[in-house]
Amino acid sequence: MTDKISRRDFLKMAGVGAATTAVLTGCGPAARYVEREPYTTMPEYTYSGRSTYYATACRECAAGCGLVARTMQGRALKVEGNRNNPVNLGKTCPRGQATLHGLYNPDRVHGPVSQKKRGSRDFKSLEWEAAIDMIVDTLKKTDPGEIAFLMGLAPDHLFDLVSDLAAAIGAPAPLRFGALAMFEARGTLSQAAKNLFGELALPFFDIANTEVTLSFGANFLETWLSPVSYTRGYSKMRKGNTNGGRGYLVQFEARMSQTAAAADEWIPARPGTEGLVAQALGKLVAEQRGDIIPHAFDVDVAKAAETSGVAEETLRNLAGLVAVAGRTVAIPGGAALGQSNGLETAEAILTLNIYLGNTGQPGGVYLSPVAPLSEKDHNPASVFGIAALVERMESGKIKTLFVHGINPVFEFPKSLGFEQALTGVPQVISFATFPDETAVLADYLLPDHHGLESWGYQRVVTGTGNAAISGAQPVVVPYYDTRSTVDILLAAAEKMGGKVASVLSFADEVEFIQSKLADLVEESDGFFSAPEVNTFLASFQQFGGWWKTTDSLGVPENDDALTRTLKIPAAEFEGKGEFHFLPFVSPILGEAGANKPWLQEVPDPTTTVTWNTWVEINPVTARELDIKDDDIVRIVTESGSIEAAVYLYPAIRPDTVAVPFGQGHTAYGRYAQGRGANPADVLGLNFNAAGDLSYAAMKVRVEKTGKKHTLARLESRMGVYGLDEEY
Amino acid sequence: MAVSAKPLSHPQVEMHHDPRQYLMLDPRPRGEMNEMVMDSMLSISWKFWVAAGILGIIVLVCLFGAWGYMIFEGLGVAGTNRPAYWGIFLVNTVFWIGISHAGTFVSALLRVFKAEFRRPFTRAAELMTTFGLVQAGLSIFMHMGRVWLSYWMFPYPNQRGLWPNFHSPLMWDFLAINTYLLASTMYLFLPLIPDVAMARDRSTGWRKNLYRILSLGFRGTEGEWTHLRHAMNIFAFAILPVMFSVHTIVSWDFAVATRPGWSSTIFGPYFVIGALHSGIAAVAMVLIVIRAIMKNMKYFIRPEHFDALGKLMLIVSMAWAYFFFNDYMVQWYGGDKWTDQLLHFHEAGLLGWMWLGMLILNIAIPWLTLWNKKIRSNPWILFIVGLLINVGMWFERYIIIPISLTVNRMPFTWREYVPGIEVLLTIGTFAFFILLYMMATKLIPIVPVWEVQEGQMAHSLRRFGRETVISVSELE
Amino acid sequence: MSKHKIPEYNTSWSEEEQGRWGMVIDQDLCTGCQACVVACAMENNISFVGEEDVVYGRAMHWIRVERFWEGEYPEVKATDFQPVMCQQCGSAPCEPVCPVFASVHSQSEELNLQVYNRCVGTRYCANNCPYQVRVFNWRDWERPEPLNNQLNPTVTVRQRGVMEKCTFCVQRIHEAEDSAQSEGRELVDGEVQPACVQACPADAIVFGRIDDPESEVSKLTKGGRGVQLLEDLGTQPRVTYLKGG
Repeated sequence: MTDKISRRDFLKMAGVGAATTAVLTGCGPAARYVEREPYTTMPEYTYSGRSTYYATACRECAAGCGLVARTMQGRALKVEGNRNNPVNLGKTCPRGQATLHGLYNPDRVHGPVSQKKRGSRDFKSLEWEAAIDMIVDTLKKTDPGEIAFLMGLAPDHLFDLVSDLAAAIGAPAPLRFGALAMFEARGTLSQAAKNLFGELALPFFDIANTEVTLSFGANFLETWLSPVSYTRGYSKMRKGNTNGGRGYLVQFEARMSQTAAAADEWIPARPGTEGLVAQALGKLVAEQRGDIIPHAFDVDVAKAAETSGVAEETLRNLAGLVAVAGRTVAIPGGAALGQSNGLETAEAILTLNIYLGNTGQPGGVYLSPVAPLSEKDHNPASVFGIAALVERMESGKIKTLFVHGINPVFEFPKSLGFEQALTGVPQVISFATFPDETAVLADYLLPDHHGLESWGYQRVVTGTGNAAISGAQPVVVPYYDTRSTVDILLAAAEKMGGKVASVLSFADEVEFIQSKLADLVEESDGFFSAPEVNTFLASFQQFGGWWKTTDSLGVPENDDALTRTLKIPAAEFEGKGEFHFLPFVSPILGEAGANKPWLQEVPDPTTTVTWNTWVEINPVTARELDIKDDDIVRIVTESGSIEAAVYLYPAIRPDTVAVPFGQGHTAYGRYAQGRGANPADVLGLNFNAAGDLSYAAMKVRVEKTGKKHTLARLESRMGVYGLDEEY
Repeated sequence: MAVSAKPLSHPQVEMHHDPRQYLMLDPRPRGEMNEMVMDSMLSISWKFWVAAGILGIIVLVCLFGAWGYMIFEGLGVAGTNRPAYWGIFLVNTVFWIGISHAGTFVSALLRVFKAEFRRPFTRAAELMTTFGLVQAGLSIFMHMGRVWLSYWMFPYPNQRGLWPNFHSPLMWDFLAINTYLLASTMYLFLPLIPDVAMARDRSTGWRKNLYRILSLGFRGTEGEWTHLRHAMNIFAFAILPVMFSVHTIVSWDFAVATRPGWSSTIFGPYFVIGALHSGIAAVAMVLIVIRAIMKNMKYFIRPEHFDALGKLMLIVSMAWAYFFFNDYMVQWYGGDKWTDQLLHFHEAGLLGWMWLGMLILNIAIPWLTLWNKKIRSNPWILFIVGLLINVGMWFERYIIIPISLTVNRMPFTWREYVPGIEVLLTIGTFAFFILLYMMATKLIPIVPVWEVQEGQMAHSLRRFGRETVISVSELE
Repeated sequence: MSKHKIPEYNTSWSEEEQGRWGMVIDQDLCTGCQACVVACAMENNISFVGEEDVVYGRAMHWIRVERFWEGEYPEVKATDFQPVMCQQCGSAPCEPVCPVFASVHSQSEELNLQVYNRCVGTRYCANNCPYQVRVFNWRDWERPEPLNNQLNPTVTVRQRGVMEKCTFCVQRIHEAEDSAQSEGRELVDGEVQPACVQACPADAIVFGRIDDPESEVSKLTKGGRGVQLLEDLGTQPRVTYLKGG
């Protein structure tokens, strides 16, 4: 090559060089591992500051799980379970995880408002002082007997305060309620426990240590009582930590719930026959064990099998399993108790436990420990009790209604007539954080903080062996001009003066909570102790509550259950339709999750449907009725009708239709409003012997509407149900 | 190996007819022929402007308007979803690349093999290549989620420290299509030079200036012709592997993926044949339209050409049928669970009619019609057959892309694809193609007039005793 | 980026040896409760898309819980719930196909990461992912004020036109590694918990280093019940599913 490089040569060499570079870069394994950093470093690799963590309590349901909220620069970013809290031991359910979408919900009430015409949503802003004056005025002028407080199951400190307030002014004690309590048939279960064991307490089922779990309608992995705690128990039971073997779960219910889907066996017993099944099982187990057959189980097995629709063979196999199992527990709950014979069913199932000898034994039935600060009755009212309140409202005997923590217009069965009864109440004051159905029908809307902005405590009613109380504290400053209901009431009490002011002479919410917690400072077996209440409160906040280190489960005792006659009346059904109606609480939305966009987006565990309500119908039945997937059907009862799209659900009795509860809001923000249907609208008013609503004792008609709505399911219909299925 | 120029057809049989039915044996004076071409280029009726206006509006609204909206809103306005992440945009890309194939095939391959019937329509075919590739390129950009960052795929040193991934078939694609676009544009341009020079000598005003620039000072000296022939020869040979590789590489986008229905080793030739299938049909369609609409074209484009193209279409259809069958057989015989499901979905799924339609349009219709010389020489029948083949080939790509993507190894995620704004954009690309083509026919001579003249000079009729024989001399 | 942590690439490594972070999902424990799904969304700034787009298959879940059916009523059975997220393949099909290196193998964690701000949205990676765990931002999903207050500042907020997927919560891995380093100690098994693992009430998901034979995740992986999804494809997934009980 000459010294001179011609332009042509230069271009050639440049071209060859560029091509070689390009080829070499692409070749060789190193290409995959070359450190390649983008122009901007991703946030995943940088630190914008340190997070601060606060322990608090979850308010998405009343179970009292402990949360730890991660905050940064005054914003709450994420909640996790509190590892210390004995209820959830660091775990959370989807509703707890989504609580931040409540805190930062775009549809929260921004400040105190009033409206001239109820339901107009033509809200006028109010000064907080004016609002408090209004409350003082109301409390002074209204006959105390004509004041009613309607509260939710959480938070407890507010309930305690209102109880004190009601007592001080001479008003009736506040009523608390929640749709969850209704669908869990919580009242029936505790009544059955009282009838058998003499104590009005929720039984605690130690499924962690059992070999066989027989669950009669109790959907304990979803929403029932304390789902996170029971899921932990389920996990242990599956791992077989204590007794070696893997625990076996059998679920009796008409529709395969998420719990049943996780179970080993799902047995679709006819609704209302669960007690009978338990008796038959008891008899068969006794036969196989060679025991004397207890009087309580004196049923004809063949007939029981026929009535319940469960094959005798299945019962015998199951009895064989139970007979040899070391520990078996039977759990009554949910729809099995929401029947006209629900109380007797619960008793029969608890009696089965007594016969199996597991009461007060590991892997058996206990009585939940009495939560700290439980001097007064803090149990939810039965639907019967609520019906009495509605009656008084209707007849004009209530002049002022305070509503907090519950959305009765949505949650109560429509047939209860709460919405109409509300017109008979001259003054309705709501403390709702969100503009829910009841709030938009109130005269005054004085928004409380969101749970993560609030102080408080929540008694752990069931779910752990340790008596526990979960503590809440604000993790962020209130985002809007909201005010704690406790502070409002304390300010009102102070302005009222007299006896009320002296009883409720607290400077603020924290002082009130402190005074309540003062009783616990003396307790010796708490997991922390403090010399005086200020230090105690500091630890209470730091750890997110207080609990005993010792096991404080009650041992249920009963001598005569096995020997007395247990006659379960046949279930009665209201309505002339051909299908059993099974409303169930949406495992994702719960009673109040519909306004959280991410909860709407999360698929239902069994159907994978998002953002809407569906009607579960067995495909065989649907074929007979010529109903296809996504057809909108009307469910008609004597009390009303709802419309929703059909999901052909292979795991439901052909004589049953099921609808999830949680959607069908007419208010409650943009994500909830105008979406789906509310099965509470079609429920009748039948009560079981415990005064609970027998919500599953309905026979409904299913009518075609000719309309269609494609359900937003995450699953692929083709992929899951086959390419050749009609769709 | 020397390829010798072939006579048009078997002389003994054909000589009963008038030899002047063949363009090569129907010479006209050079000046007259030049004027004919100039005339057809320069006569622009009001109908042309109306059509151009309508197409222009369609292009503005359906292509650029809808695209702008899509860029602003995100690809949610299109129909893609999980798992059909690719949709009509890539169907169109593959389709247009297929269309673009025929141009080079007709022009380069037939030139290399010295098939004389190619002469009058090489340019029309090459124009299709270039404009088809423009649509293919646009469709790729439409498909991208963040098209404003598409320059990140260019391999050039930059301060972002980014370098494209040459492992990615999309990079191969990107390079192959770019190469092909450049090469085919050059290949379009080279034979154009003498014609532009001819036009330069016969025009005034802005056209003269334009042609002066385009003709690069071509005067027609012996040296210039030698250089030109040289360059064209090199390009004709060089572009053929590029052409075959382009569609092979496009097929690798699918063939190297881990998807059932895609990872098929036959995809390379299958795609090339598919491209020719639609492309040759499209060439025939374009010629028929040009012949019907443009002045003096009936002289240049004759039934003999449709006859020849019809034969090609029939042969390619048979080849395509073979590759389709081969691909299907191998996949079916493989017995993979997911592939079985996919094949079942192709045939009996929601769009099973499309699968059946593909077979009818691509195989049954050409086979039933094109065997007959009378049918294939009839321009309008050939036009309809060509149209149906193109629809069928579009179906084929639709089946390969969104329909095959519906079914994968995670049945929980199977979901159908329903086109959204893609429909508008597809209309837009077709309108854009036609518009570009229309404009081009009025800017450059659509017939390579020098090639026709060259051919006519080379052809002559000679008598040997009582036999009249067509003789072709080698000019090159 | 913690450069000191990055080992020199060693060509003699086989793919299996490089695996560092892995996950085990016990399907016998999973109750299908979806807590992991919400936890993941809250941690990773995942957008919600609304009913219409979910119908159309554009839900942004990085983790989904699959269930199928077996048998006919009344013997019908739901198959074990199966949470599926990015399997963090050792030989990931999504990586080589990206033209701009947006889908890369990070050498410091041996994870498959998506560099969001490099993505141009060709969606090839998602097509080539046999597990179908990549999700695409079809729009700039709406997140009305003040919901944006909840956005995690340590996770990128993704624009329309960008592919995204599970990262095994790489931000948490980094934070834990760095705090362990600043305290002058080794990471403890179980110290790093992705959001799904932390939330799971049934303890069905276990996370840890699979190159540490003593870690819980290693023991469970080798416990005999483990299978990997679509093992035959040779993707070397880092997630192991425990079947049976």
